[in-house]
Amino acid sequence: MRLFYSALFVIFLASCSNQSISKTEIVQRDYLVQLLETPSTENVQVINFWATWCAPCVEELPAFVEADQEDNIEVILISLDEAKNVDAMVNPFLKENNITATVKLLDDPYAAEWIPMVDPHWDGAIPATLIQKGSKRMFYNTSLTAQELKDEIAKFL
Amino acid sequence: MKTLKILTVVCVIALATAIVYGVLENPSDSKTYALNPQLDSSSPLEPNFQDTEKLEIEGMEEDTKLGYQIGDIATDFKLKNIDGTMVSLADYPNAKGFMVIFTCNHCPYSKAYEDRIIALDKQFKKKGFPVIAINPNNPEIYPEDSFEMMKERAKSKGFTFPYLFDANQDIFPQYGATKTPHVFLLEKQPKGNIVRYIGAIDDNYQDVAAVKTHFLKDAVNALLSGKEVDPKTTAAIGCSIKK
Repeated sequence: MRLFYSALFVIFLASCSNQSISKTEIVQRDYLVQLLETPSTENVQVINFWATWCAPCVEELPAFVEADQEDNIEVILISLDEAKNVDAMVNPFLKENNITATVKLLDDPYAAEWIPMVDPHWDGAIPATLIQKGSKRMFYNTSLTAQELKDEIAKFL
Repeated sequence: MKTLKILTVVCVIALATAIVYGVLENPSDSKTYALNPQLDSSSPLEPNFQDTEKLEIEGMEEDTKLGYQIGDIATDFKLKNIDGTMVSLADYPNAKGFMVIFTCNHCPYSKAYEDRIIALDKQFKKKGFPVIAINPNNPEIYPEDSFEMMKERAKSKGFTFPYLFDANQDIFPQYGATKTPHVFLLEKQPKGNIVRYIGAIDDNYQDVAAVKTHFLKDAVNALLSGKEVDPKTTAAIGCSIKK
């Protein structure tokens, strides 16, 4: 009987591919600073600022989750939802929408202080996306279509 | 030995399932990339939207920005208020300036600031700086931002200021508003209404009690006492204005 269960478990694991739904980690400003100051030299990092209540953000998320499947692309979705909503809204949203890319919730309401660190052009409208690898960095203060995202990432590969 | 056999069978089944899923996943991959642009262009709303986006991307690279800079003269407008009247800045001959705030119903950041906007209007209207709120959103995209819903929201919150509808969506691009809430503080001068401050209301949307700097309030007070506004621009998270 035990064998049967473990067999079932193996089948289950294999059939639902190796990607599991992400769980949100709440981070502070030091995480963001570290991410911006020490970009990966091996992977293209795609950093997307979004929130569950932001319709254009939600619209473009599937393209980012898709991009994250590639080996040398690391997508980091930085949620700007309120930290108190993480269990009521953000995590259920990830489950409902099959979000498998890394999700961090930036718990720092003093946006006027950290927005300029991300990019001096950014006035805070979301969605916004930053792509970085080594010393190369591009900032997009706009929604991106799947094709646009693919094209922009290709410039870093 | 029997255990090993069963395990082998299980592994084969698992592998087969994985392959089937793998095969099934690929077409959906190509679908996401290949079909979306076509779908987009067949939708009546999208071509315009895509064009503006591309413009913005190019603009970003070239280090240019649309809309007003500090010191520019802001355009007047004639927009429909929730009470049915048409409102212009010219209707306020005694005003010293205006807190023009692009805001809306649906955005959580806008909602978080409603009470603070009412308080600012009450504090500064009598000193010559009334709030003029403008909803720049397309209600076809955000039904909550329709003119009818604006009336309801203003009534339930007890707005003390005009709440105007940028029905043709041609005022917010001239100002360069990109999100809600987005503040443009204007000072009335003989040659027109000069832009003195662009940005956020204050630095903490979550908690009024934890606000460190009241950007807008400080800016109006600076103008009232003949001082220079500092800072002149600030950034804040907001909901993108949608055409």
